[in-house]
Amino acid sequence: MPEIQTRQFGLVKFEETSVLHFPAGLPAFEARTRFLMIERAVTAPVVFLQSVDTPELCFCTVPVAAIDPDYQLAMTEEDARLLNAAGAPLCLVILAPTGAAGWTANLLAPVVIDLASRRAVQAVRADARYSHQHPVGVAKCS
Amino acid sequence: MLVIRRRAGESLLIGDEIEIEILECGHSQVKLGIRAPKQVVILRKEVHIAGEQNRRAAEALSRLDSWMPKF
Repeated sequence: MPEIQTRQFGLVKFEETSVLHFPAGLPAFEARTRFLMIERAVTAPVVFLQSVDTPELCFCTVPVAAIDPDYQLAMTEEDARLLNAAGAPLCLVILAPTGAAGWTANLLAPVVIDLASRRAVQAVRADARYSHQHPVGVAKCS
Repeated sequence: MLVIRRRAGESLLIGDEIEIEILECGHSQVKLGIRAPKQVVILRKEVHIAGEQNRRAAEALSRLDSWMPKF
């Protein structure tokens, strides 16, 4: 079984069939195409996107519904074609620390995942309907 | 900010090596053609911004100690 040594989760074993494939990578990480979704009960609803090829690269995300249950997904034609989703995809938003605003979520560019095919794309919206720095609460883990 | 009006078919030159041509001008959208050297990165602004956010996110998690977002 393939495995990677990660900083956050130690040794992670995985099935190749569970790997998410980003054909275009992610903005600023275009060469990073393979990721695992890692969830732990203690950090729910966070979904970690752990790079398979670069163990030190890991994104903290949450399902967009955890922030905005009424979120309206809108992908460009190009992204929709790249994703070629069969059914309703899973939408995750990437969290980042943003200076004085604390942690924020990028609702302007959700990670959209077709679970059946394991294809994924970070679909950057062309409209200005949502913020790329939507504030979320922060608390210290003990 | 330099503000210029152009019609479809007209062009702008930026520096010695970049040309922007207005290919089509619709009522809600403009189609632009851009000629630039290969090494010049051309991105939709919001894609550039997503890249910045991703870099911040990746860098933070690589330094993460005990801080975690909570909902």
